[in-house]
Amino acid sequence: MLIWFLPLFLLFLAIGLPVFFGLLAAPGILLWMAGQEKDITLLYRNVYNGMDSFPLMAIPFFMLAGEMMNRGGITIRLVEFSQALMGHLRGGLAHVNVLSSILFAGLSGSAVADTSALGSMLIPAMEKQGYTRRFAAAITAASSVIGPIIPPSGIMIIYAYVMGESVAALFLAGIVPGIMVGVGLMVMVRVLADRYDLPKAERIVQKDQKIEGVENIFSFLLLRLNLAGLIWAFAPLGEDPSPLANALVFAGALAGAHVFLVFMRSQVSADFRVVCKKAVVPLQTPILILGGILLGVFTPTEAAAVAVFYAVIVAFFILRSMTLADLPDVLSRAALTSAVVLLLVGAAMAFKTVVSLSYAPQILADFILSLSENPLILLFLINILLFIVGMFLDAGPAIIILGPILGPIFVDLGVHPVHFAIIMSVNLTVGLATPPMGLVLFVASSVSGEKVQTIAKAILPFLAVEIFVIFLITYFPAISMTIPRLTGFVQ
Amino acid sequence: MALLQGLLWPFQVWNDHVLRVGRWISIVAIALMVVAILIQVFFRYALNNALPWPDEAARFLMLWLTGLMAPTAYRRGGFVAIDMLLEALPARAGAVLSLILLLIAGAVLAVAIPIGWGEVTGFMSRASTSTLYYWDFFAGEWEKIPRRWMFLSLFVGVILLAIVNVELILRSLITLLGHRDALRPIPGADVVGAE
Repeated sequence: MLIWFLPLFLLFLAIGLPVFFGLLAAPGILLWMAGQEKDITLLYRNVYNGMDSFPLMAIPFFMLAGEMMNRGGITIRLVEFSQALMGHLRGGLAHVNVLSSILFAGLSGSAVADTSALGSMLIPAMEKQGYTRRFAAAITAASSVIGPIIPPSGIMIIYAYVMGESVAALFLAGIVPGIMVGVGLMVMVRVLADRYDLPKAERIVQKDQKIEGVENIFSFLLLRLNLAGLIWAFAPLGEDPSPLANALVFAGALAGAHVFLVFMRSQVSADFRVVCKKAVVPLQTPILILGGILLGVFTPTEAAAVAVFYAVIVAFFILRSMTLADLPDVLSRAALTSAVVLLLVGAAMAFKTVVSLSYAPQILADFILSLSENPLILLFLINILLFIVGMFLDAGPAIIILGPILGPIFVDLGVHPVHFAIIMSVNLTVGLATPPMGLVLFVASSVSGEKVQTIAKAILPFLAVEIFVIFLITYFPAISMTIPRLTGFVQ
Repeated sequence: MALLQGLLWPFQVWNDHVLRVGRWISIVAIALMVVAILIQVFFRYALNNALPWPDEAARFLMLWLTGLMAPTAYRRGGFVAIDMLLEALPARAGAVLSLILLLIAGAVLAVAIPIGWGEVTGFMSRASTSTLYYWDFFAGEWEKIPRRWMFLSLFVGVILLAIVNVELILRSLITLLGHRDALRPIPGADVVGAE
């Protein structure tokens, strides 16, 4: 009887019941009908236990860091930096849009924040340069899905927690697929640029910019320290180098980095230099998070707290884009979004208990295996299913619902859990930009003033690229698995 | 109609004021969570001393943040749902469906309240947290915080959600009777969470 919880749950979802209540009502009703009232108490207890988790704390922290970073100053810096690098290409501002999304992804991890922050700035600028509004809105929406793929990523934290995987492994596995989506979109922009004669843009928009003293010092130091760190990481120091050897190599690397940057300084214009320098402080965030996790200094939750601390330093002392009066609003927004997600994850953990009590995974596995025993064909079919689900449901809730049901089936078929996590995450994230319920399409529509259905048509070439990347990720596990394997986060 | 408006008023006033207090507590809680974890990192790396309490303290705060903030999100329409059918239906049918959905949500919450109380007062709640203390004025000494203080967060959240649900049901009934214009907009309804 308990097997009916899934159709009942889907019915509740279809009629519009909030996912949180659906996750509890469907199994609750069936447990009650089966005379297992005591298990309803277990359902409640698992909501609590599901929320009482240290790894989950990374969600409010990353949301908070993203909120702080987005408060003024950051978006324009990333866009100007992207434009300095790619603006001169044909279809320049469309490339800038994609590159900005890749960079933005390292700070925020939210597709909606990406669409609204970059869209409000780039869509009018693109229109002014002769792009149609629908094209500008479409590329903004399409590129924003990179946000939750490249770390930090809320949906990957949720997946890792619900499925018992390593957050760090998932973060690392998302880097290459995220960049591939970006590169794929740029290739499509290039194709469309030739066909529609899309214009080039100026590399430097605002000439004779100045950089404030404190920020200048920070950029100067961070650039050298990061470069030196990179050289030091790859230096052949042997198995167990002495502290003195480490210090000497790092000092040498620091000197080398300084000489290199001084040389580079003479190769570029003063304006280009200032624009690049202004991007250093915000772009330090992903370096801090990933560097800390990779070096084993922080857990992902601690890395998220450190990212908040860094965001406070940046917003209050370096860029001075926030005052104490802004703080309650920022904290409140992060707390509000986090509360919804945390409650949902709690309900998902309760739901997962019922999934394991029922025979749903076995029955579904039998059904799926009756279609084919070839994992490659099954992965193809599952991608289609995920894509359809993504059209109607946001990535987070979809992962919460489908992860515990589909994950074990494919792991039994020999698909690595981290690989399957990435297939699910990327596919469902792309669903954020698909009609009829793609959240970022609605945000792009509200930012641009263009109708959703018009953007939905214009986005089709970009969606085709993203679907192609999904299949590449699916059939070439090395794309997502190489970095986590090389760094030892996956065996 | 006047009866419904009269019934709605106390729930509206309660939710306006109590949820605002909840929001402020959550704001402080999220800030303290960050501080607790930063202290943990600092003590471990700078002072080589792994403190036992920041982890539990931060989880304690996160549970209360969720319990106190989720009702605000629910009231503002921030709970994730597929509302395609609601939007596709004619206004009156949509209002009826909306009322049915609120009644289902109300039933879930009504079942959760006695279970939640059982958890707060039950056997498990008598245990203490491992590392958190409070000053007991009556005993005049430091005591370990009981786990029921943590269990209470979800119970309070469920109670507040149920009160919000009653307000939403009354608003839905007034809408169904064709007096939507008489309803005061919910403050901050445009500020909700998203992916």
